[in-house]
Amino acid sequence: MRRYTIVINNSDEVQEPVNKIDRLIHEPSRYILMAYLYVVEVADFLFLLRQTGMTWGNLSAHLSKLETAGYVVIEKEFLGKKPHTTVRLTDHGRNAFEEYRGNMKRVLDNLPAK
Amino acid sequence: MLENISLKEIQRKVYMTFFQDGLWDIFLGLFILGWGLAILTDATYLPGVTFIGLYFAIWGIKKRLTYPRIGYARFSTTSRRRITARFIILGVAVMLVGVLMAVLWGIGTRPQWLADYFPLIFNGILAAVVCFIAYWARVNRFYLYAVLIFLGAVFHLWLGVRWEFGFIGAGGIIVLIGLGILIVFLRKYPKMVEEVHDSN
Repeated sequence: MRRYTIVINNSDEVQEPVNKIDRLIHEPSRYILMAYLYVVEVADFLFLLRQTGMTWGNLSAHLSKLETAGYVVIEKEFLGKKPHTTVRLTDHGRNAFEEYRGNMKRVLDNLPAK
Repeated sequence: MLENISLKEIQRKVYMTFFQDGLWDIFLGLFILGWGLAILTDATYLPGVTFIGLYFAIWGIKKRLTYPRIGYARFSTTSRRRITARFIILGVAVMLVGVLMAVLWGIGTRPQWLADYFPLIFNGILAAVVCFIAYWARVNRFYLYAVLIFLGAVFHLWLGVRWEFGFIGAGGIIVLIGLGILIVFLRKYPKMVEEVHDSN
């Protein structure tokens, strides 16, 4: 009878970057939002809406989650009688985004070549 | 994959929103038109007045027309400094060429080539500036505008068309293209008022 050995690489080298992936940012819509906010200092709600193609409710929900995590600051004001919401990335959010990108890169770099 | 979404590409998309409404095309077209009218009427102040007047007018129009449709984003201080630095370098380069030409013109021994090809050099500099904007903002239609501006001098030198008509023609075409883009923009993006959402 032949014996097969399956080797599962459980080393920290492989697992650690995967475990470090920020699931909040990993969601594609939130990642895109973070990316936009990363390249600009501040953007209003409408700008993010147009650029990402999300719906009002969707955008609002994602931003709310990012705000709860402390990644973005949402400021509401009135321009005349119209509501106007601006969003900016916090330093914490900026660092989290950079870390996320770094971790993702490391995870993919660790994959064996085809 | 997410990590492959290029931040540069997103930055480029954000840059391009500044040119999406055609207002900068109209600005450029009217400025070039201003040069033509200045030469035609000897009103040397016209390009400067047109430039400053239009510059502020465009920002005012953008605030009323563009931002309620596609929103507003402000670049980081670092990016803004980089953009300003590019324009300063461009301005200094153009000024240096201008000073060099003025010196050559004024020293009495005005080179014949300068007198002969002055329109070509002048339009060439303008076209180079427009090419720079096209390259920097990756707005390809600005290359076409550069060609139109340069052609004005070519038509003048080799086809005998009056120099100012080259400016007026190029400026007019650019304004029309800009207006077309503006109309498409206004149709594509209706004004939007934020819905009130309680994000908490």
